Amino acid sequence: MSPPALGRALPHDSVLHRRNPTVKLAVSSVVSLVLLVPVDPWTPGLLLLLALPAATVAGRLGARTVLRAVALFAPFALSVLAVNAVTCPGQVVWRGVGLEVTTTGLSVGGALALRALLVGVLSVAFTLTTDAGRLMTSLHQHARLGPRATFAVLAGYRVLEQLPERWETVRRAQAVREPGRRPGAPLPRDAGALARAAFAVLVVSLRQGERLAVALEQRGLGAGPRTVARPVPLDRRDAALAGVVLGVVGLVVVASWWTGVLQTWADVG
Amino acid sequence: MSAARPRVTLAELVLLAVLAVVFGFLYWALVQAWGALQLAMGPFGDLAQHVLIGGWMVAAPLAVYIVRKPGAGVAVELVAAFVEVAFLGSPVGPMLLVVGLVQGVGAEAAFALTRYRRYGWGVFALSGVLAGLASTALGVVRFGWLTQDWFAWRLGLQVVSGLVLCGLLARVVGDALARTGVLDNTPLGRARRGRTAPSGGVTRDDATASTDGLAPRTGDGGVAPTDASGRDDTHVAEGGSGVTAGRTAAAGDPSGAR
Repeated sequence: MSPPALGRALPHDSVLHRRNPTVKLAVSSVVSLVLLVPVDPWTPGLLLLLALPAATVAGRLGARTVLRAVALFAPFALSVLAVNAVTCPGQVVWRGVGLEVTTTGLSVGGALALRALLVGVLSVAFTLTTDAGRLMTSLHQHARLGPRATFAVLAGYRVLEQLPERWETVRRAQAVREPGRRPGAPLPRDAGALARAAFAVLVVSLRQGERLAVALEQRGLGAGPRTVARPVPLDRRDAALAGVVLGVVGLVVVASWWTGVLQTWADVG
Repeated sequence: MSAARPRVTLAELVLLAVLAVVFGFLYWALVQAWGALQLAMGPFGDLAQHVLIGGWMVAAPLAVYIVRKPGAGVAVELVAAFVEVAFLGSPVGPMLLVVGLVQGVGAEAAFALTRYRRYGWGVFALSGVLAGLASTALGVVRFGWLTQDWFAWRLGLQVVSGLVLCGLLARVVGDALARTGVLDNTPLGRARRGRTAPSGGVTRDDATASTDGLAPRTGDGGVAPTDASGRDDTHVAEGGSGVTAGRTAAAGDPSGAR
C-alpha cells in the first residue's frame, strides 16, 4: 500500500494545478451527482474512457499513476459488480452454488462498478493537483467558509500531515515494549495492537490540537474578519473548465438517451 | 459549516477538526481493510460494508459526547468526509460528503431528542441504531438495495453494526479518552470532574454536571467547604476559561493510554 498523498499536490505545474480548487471540487461533486442517475454500463463507461486521458494530460499525472489509482479502486468496483450480478432479479444466464447470475444484475453491476472507477479517477485527479492550503483559502474566499471553520480545518490539516509519521512512531514504540519480542520482527498486526496504536494516536493528536487552539487564540485568529495572504484567483479559465467538463458530461448523457442505451432505476426496478 | 455557530469556541472547533482528521485517517485505513475483506468474501463481498459500517460513524456520537453542543456530530462527520475526499482521495468521491451528513444527522438525532442532556448507554445505543437506519436509507437511494434480494440482511447487519461499532464504542472510547486527562478542558471533562471530584478539590454541581444523566450524583457533598462561609469565590477556578488545575487522579500521562 503506497503512502497517501495527504493533500499534497504533485510538485509540478499543469492546467489542473492552476485551476481554482473550489471550482474543481464543485465540478467533481456535480459530476458525481449526475452519475447517480444512469445504471447502464455504457454511459459511465464512455465517460471513464474520456476521463482517463483527460485527467492524465490536463493534470500531467502520468499514465502509470492513473492506472495505479484504477487498480487501487478495482476491488471496490469488482465487489459491486459481483454482488449486483447475483442479487438482482432478471433473466438468469448462469446458475451455481446456490446463486443466480442475471443479465439485469450484470448490467447494473457493471454500471455501478464503472461509476466507482470514474469517481475514483476524478478524486485522484483532484487530490494530486490541489494543495490543501490553497483549497482552504479558496473555500474561505469563494465558498464563504467562515474564518473560524477555515482555521479549524487548517489546524486539523497540520495534524493530518504528521499522522502517518506519528502512527509509525507509536507502532514502533509499542512494539519495542512488548515482552519476548525478537529484534527485527515485523510489527504486530493483530486487532488489539492496531486498536492500541489508534487510541494512542488519538490522544496525542488531541493534545496537539489543544496546543494549536491556544496558539490560534493567542494570535487572535477567529476573533474577526481577516485578510488573506495569498489570495487564490478565480477567473474565466475556471469557468471554461467547468463549462467544458459539465458540457461533455451533459452531451454523453444526452447521447446515451438519444441512442436508447440510457437506463435509470425506474427502467430496471 | 454547521459548527460555525457563535456558541462553539475556537478551541472546540479545533478539537472537532482534530477528531475529524484522526477519524478521517482511520476511516481511510478502514477502507483499505474493507477492500481486502470484500475480495475475501467473493460474491458476498458487498455485505462486508454492513459489518464495518458502524466504524465509519463512530466519530459523531463521540464528538457530541465530548463537546455537548448541537451540530457537533454532524460537523465532525462532514469534516471527516471532507478530509477523506479532499486530502486522501477516497474512491467514494464527493458523494461521501452527503454520506457523512446523513450519518451524522442519524447519529446526532438521539442526543437531540434528549436536548443534549443525557449521555447514558441507552442514548448511545439509540444513536448507533439511528445512524445505521439513516445509512441504510441512503444506500436504498444510492445503490437500489430495495430491488435486490438481501435487503433484510443488509438492514439487520447495519443496525447491529451501528449499535456496537458506532453507538456503544463511542461511549467506551470517550470514557477512555477522558481517563487520560486529554479532555479535561472540554464539557465532557468538566462534567466528569463535577461528578467524581478528587477529595479536597473544588466541586461545583454546575449545569453540565447536574444535567448529565449517566448516573445518580454522588458528589453532592462536594460543595460543603464553601457552603459553610456562604461564599463561593473558589468556584471561579472551576467556571473560568481554560482551567487545567483539576486533572483527575486517573489522568496520568499519555503513555498510560498506550
